[in-house]
Amino acid sequence: MSLNIADRRRINGPQRSVEPVYTTKAADPFATGRLDERALDQVRPIFIKTGPLDAQSLSAAAPSGSAYYEQGKIRVSCAIYGPRQGRKSNARMGSFDCDFKYAPFSCSWKRSHIKTSDEKEIALMLENSVAPAIRLEAYPKASIDAFVTVIESDGKAATIAAAINCISAALADAGIELYDSVAACSMALHGEQWVSDCSQAEENASTCSLLVARMPSADEITYLLQHGKTTPEQTQQAIQTCANDCTRVYAVICRYLQATLE
Amino acid sequence: MASLILSPAEQDYIIRGVESGFRADGRGSLDRREVSLRTGMISQANGSARCRIGNLGVGTDVLVGVKAEVNSWTPGEPEDLGSIVCNVECSPSAAQEFEGRGAEEINVELTQLLDRILNGPQSGLDLKKLCIIPKQAYWVLHIDALVLDVKGSIVDTLVWATRAALMSTSLPRVVVETIGDEMGNMQAEFDVVDDPEDLTPLEGAENLPISVTFSQIGKRYVVDASEQEEVVTQAKLTVAVSPVMEICAIQKGGMFRGFPPSLLAEILEIAQRIAREELTRFDVHYAQAKSHLSSQADEPSTGSTFLVQF
Repeated sequence: MSLNIADRRRINGPQRSVEPVYTTKAADPFATGRLDERALDQVRPIFIKTGPLDAQSLSAAAPSGSAYYEQGKIRVSCAIYGPRQGRKSNARMGSFDCDFKYAPFSCSWKRSHIKTSDEKEIALMLENSVAPAIRLEAYPKASIDAFVTVIESDGKAATIAAAINCISAALADAGIELYDSVAACSMALHGEQWVSDCSQAEENASTCSLLVARMPSADEITYLLQHGKTTPEQTQQAIQTCANDCTRVYAVICRYLQATLE
Repeated sequence: MASLILSPAEQDYIIRGVESGFRADGRGSLDRREVSLRTGMISQANGSARCRIGNLGVGTDVLVGVKAEVNSWTPGEPEDLGSIVCNVECSPSAAQEFEGRGAEEINVELTQLLDRILNGPQSGLDLKKLCIIPKQAYWVLHIDALVLDVKGSIVDTLVWATRAALMSTSLPRVVVETIGDEMGNMQAEFDVVDDPEDLTPLEGAENLPISVTFSQIGKRYVVDASEQEEVVTQAKLTVAVSPVMEICAIQKGGMFRGFPPSLLAEILEIAQRIAREELTRFDVHYAQAKSHLSSQADEPSTGSTFLVQF
């Protein structure tokens, strides 16, 4: 719009506007070691607390089990409802359903209140990771529902791993019969080096992310997700390393659950 | 997705057969079914393909259409890249449980899986070439897949059809001019050429990965599970491998079991070999589809070209 007749009553701004230029670029998160000074194969410190959502009075609406899980800056909470009446009254095995939601303030941009398709997909991922550990044949016609809320997220793969660990702790708190606890861990590929448990900045700077969920006692890998391109040898090596990290996380969950019994 | 009900005897038959290396339809555990592939049947789309995987003319049928659209850049988006938007829909004609909202879960799962394979450098597509003018306009490729029939092995059929559709995609030519306005600032403007014959093929589509899905049945696994085998599948692993033998995506499916690490290592090794064979098979079928299309170019296109010889 280039009118020669300018608006003389106002002070006119320029006709064309250009966005401001920022001279500082985001720092490379791996420039001098990791930003939080961890080793490349070190998982972030974990805090677990079960039972924070128990109602004071035994109301029927209270969840059977719940857990609050922190890993570095990631904060996840999970509530388990069940075993309660399932949808199908003729089912031989129980059903396990997961509901996953990012809180609107949990990521660096505001998330929608309505569930988006990636939240629905993550819910399916959580079901696929944790259901193998549950003795569903002990709960015919019943359904066990897990409701996971991410209060703060820091790295997509790491947050999903944290959600899996949180559900494991909550299921144990709910007294659901399990074959084993599922522990999950994530890694990201930066150049040629696999780095364990990456934060969001580190994940953005990486070319590939890997998520592994494992049942250490049964020695089964219950979930595997690779997003990005690698050579087959890199994938094989990463799966092994990540599975070892899962065992370390599993030890933390088990030690906590044991401590709650004392 | 178990619309098929098998009796315990049938399930046991399949499981023990797979553990001994036999499959109900006579295939070996690594043998895949026949493929029918056709491209270019949707004239309004920039690229299209229909793929059916199954023996004797019956199988999993997926139709993929690619439409390109020009989008204006908004701050926050990458400055010099185009983008890809995927959508997979399972038609209610494929299975009764897909009616109404029944297909919602599987639609989300397949859409996200396709998005994970295609969006990013692992797809092999050069998204920089899809940028028309940096910070101003870029091509968006809308990839819409419609699953018409389900007889086992949806993911592999979907990726085959998407690969064929993208390889046959051609975009209209864009002419970019820089003109100065009265202030002396250089502004870039683009114009999409309207000529239906003046097209540029999509670059990098031959680098797209192909997927192989392994279904764990009992203690062993099979590739390209049929409908009955999927009912007894306890866990699935989908591996997407590119033509240069890089692993582009891995996703585990199924909620009844996990994989023992030794089986996982074996699967990842075999995935490369099978992917290489599948890529060769794909090239053969794609070349056939292209020659079929060009031989039909002089005939009037009627609705029957969609159904006949497929």
